[in-house]
Amino acid sequence: MSDVSLTSPTTDPAGLLVYFVGTRFALFWLALKTGFLTVITLGFYRFWMKTRMRRWFWSAIRPGGHPMEYVGDPWEKLLGFFIAVVILTFYIGIINLLVMFVSFSIFSSASVGYLASVVGVIPLWFYAQYRARRYVLARTRWRGVRFGLEKGAWGYAWRALVHWAVTLLTVGLLWPRMTFWLEKYVTDRTYFGSARLNQGGHWAMLYRAAIPFILSLLVLVGGAIWVFWLDPIVVSADMTTDDIIRSVEEMMDGGAAALPVVGVERLGIFLIGILGLLYGAIHYRFVSKRLMANHKTADGITLHSRLSGPRVASIYVLGSVIAYFFLVLGVVGLVIFAMLTLGPSAMLGGAMGDFGAAVDLPKSIAVLLIAVFYLSIFLLWNVLYSTFVTFPLMRHIAQTLSLPQRHGLQVISQRARDEFAEAEGFAEALDLGAAI
Amino acid sequence: MSTGFNGFGAAYFDGDRPIGKEVSLHIANNNLQIGFDNGTTLFWPLEDIRTLEDNADKQSFTLRLITDPLARLLVTDQMLLGYLPNATRRSPPKGRGKLALWAAGAVAAVALQVTVLVPLLADRLAVFIPPDGERALGEATFEQIRDALGDTGLAPLAICENPAGTKALAQITAALNAGDGAPEGLSVAVLDHDMINAFALPGGFVVIFKGLIDHAETPDEVAVVLAHEIGHVVSRDPTRHALRSAGSIGILGLLFGDFAGGAAVLFLTERLISATYSQQAETNADAFGYARLEAANVSPAALGTMFERLRDEHGEGNELLGHFLSHPSLSDRIENARSAADETRNYAPILDDAGWKALQSICD
Ligand SMILES: [Zn+2]
Repeated sequence: MSDVSLTSPTTDPAGLLVYFVGTRFALFWLALKTGFLTVITLGFYRFWMKTRMRRWFWSAIRPGGHPMEYVGDPWEKLLGFFIAVVILTFYIGIINLLVMFVSFSIFSSASVGYLASVVGVIPLWFYAQYRARRYVLARTRWRGVRFGLEKGAWGYAWRALVHWAVTLLTVGLLWPRMTFWLEKYVTDRTYFGSARLNQGGHWAMLYRAAIPFILSLLVLVGGAIWVFWLDPIVVSADMTTDDIIRSVEEMMDGGAAALPVVGVERLGIFLIGILGLLYGAIHYRFVSKRLMANHKTADGITLHSRLSGPRVASIYVLGSVIAYFFLVLGVVGLVIFAMLTLGPSAMLGGAMGDFGAAVDLPKSIAVLLIAVFYLSIFLLWNVLYSTFVTFPLMRHIAQTLSLPQRHGLQVISQRARDEFAEAEGFAEALDLGAAI
Repeated sequence: MSTGFNGFGAAYFDGDRPIGKEVSLHIANNNLQIGFDNGTTLFWPLEDIRTLEDNADKQSFTLRLITDPLARLLVTDQMLLGYLPNATRRSPPKGRGKLALWAAGAVAAVALQVTVLVPLLADRLAVFIPPDGERALGEATFEQIRDALGDTGLAPLAICENPAGTKALAQITAALNAGDGAPEGLSVAVLDHDMINAFALPGGFVVIFKGLIDHAETPDEVAVVLAHEIGHVVSRDPTRHALRSAGSIGILGLLFGDFAGGAAVLFLTERLISATYSQQAETNADAFGYARLEAANVSPAALGTMFERLRDEHGEGNELLGHFLSHPSLSDRIENARSAADETRNYAPILDDAGWKALQSICD
């Protein structure tokens, strides 16, 4: 694909299109192959698996017909993981111990301790998130030119904490403000070669993306007022929700309701409301990304996204259902396989976590088998999710994206390599790394 | 001799600017000749050319030169691949030394933490936990163990509470837990599980599994184990151990990664049950146990009898043996138990026959 169009500056509305090549089957095969290797290496191959999956996805996304490239190195990821483990074991081990001590000494209970140790990890979580993003961008190239993200992980972490606090204090009303400012913090520090990105727009524009969510909330609140107050479903005066649920269950079983109820089918409004909320959450997450993408610019470069909320939601719903269906099939297959090879008693004993005398196998082997079994199910899910959710999602996001203005590309030059000792080790160690 | 290739759709990126250049492609003299519109030509030695791996597109592929980390050549003519001898050869990984260093560091850090730092800190802190806190810690771990060993996801493991059996158990406990320094609020419970084991928890909990009572041939054999566990309670060994586990579980979660949840909890529970204390702690618990048995006029030799039978029937993989095996070797301990018994003395069983029958049916 030659780039004749590039040499003549253009603001053609279609602009530079983003293509997506690659087939679902090829991805499935790659995910299965690398997933299998991950299982038989007890998880160690996951750094290679992740690298290879990213390479595949990146090379499938082709702005202007030219592939993105992922140059991350699995050894570098392994090293990063070790570094993070060294640093985190001290933090987590000692902090956990102190927190539990305080929790039992002062509060005489474990729950305070658990809560505190979870809360203690939250800042690290944001820190790791930013570092992971920086690593991935630093290892992403297009047309031979590197992306990059400036340093600023702690700045991101404390901003995220403040925004979350504000969002919680305003019962979610200022959520779009948080979404916008955190994304702006990252975008404004993102580079493509020598060009710095800029996040324009205003946070209030994101309320548009929240409309389905807000409508669903209104449906739920309105429904509650209608069914319980304006035109009560239960005739009796002092009813609790438990009573109502019980009557509904009894009616579903075909029996007569224990309570005098009127128009119980109106409860269906809650089902609609809750499904609406789920849809609204997905819609917000992706449409807010679209709205912000449309306000991202660099000198002489603009982005345009035509991403569709309903389409993304249907990918999630359909993809998850299909993936779940195959997962169940796969688990049944695994169990049968294990029963045939190991004998049923070992399998059952292992799954129950029973290390007692009932298990004939040596304990270490039983533990190993359980580990492999858990790992297999987890990875099977990963493979299916990549195939049926991540793949169509990435394809949709790529194909709806374009660069209407791109004469700015002419003046961009390469940026220096961002050496990154710990890679995304923190994210990996803190379990943030599940996503591509 | 020169071979030409289809340059349609091919593009060269110089690694500086994101501008694709149209190229003509030829191979001559073991070089790939990349010709540009302005008449200049780049020469890439064929053996130094690699393709990018895990390419999603079947119609095109990207080439790189090992001596230039940045320049890229996007090619659509599949014929070209056949001329590249080392297209898929891996580049030698860099920084293995650093990797090995950090890997060793990671292992050392975890080992240091689990074996030295956490135990040290836990031992220091355990002294400062007030009784209420210890009790709460014990209750929490007790419930955790009952849940883990119960029918998965259903009911927690049952506590055996047959009245006559409970009375017999109380009788043993009272006999052993008398005199100076007897811990207050000691609670001994029997759990309905076949495991031949017993263990102590923080806050004065001692748990005996039904399997142990079934395995014992005399009430004294239950008493010796109980006396030993009371020894652990008195020196607060379980509290230290629970604190250590609290410190270690985070590290385990870190290492186990995504499927941590279930596995780490199982592992932790398993560790609590088969708690291995330090050699000093075991020796002290033994000594304490013998003293209490003497005071209750029960022969410590029952411990030796029981262990020998256990070893004969189950081998050394048994949990109870695992606990008692810890540091002083098992045969040493059997020997010690025998020698702790005063041969000239006239010992009496801790329970009469009726009491022993009652204890044996505590789970009915
Ligand atoms: Zn002991």
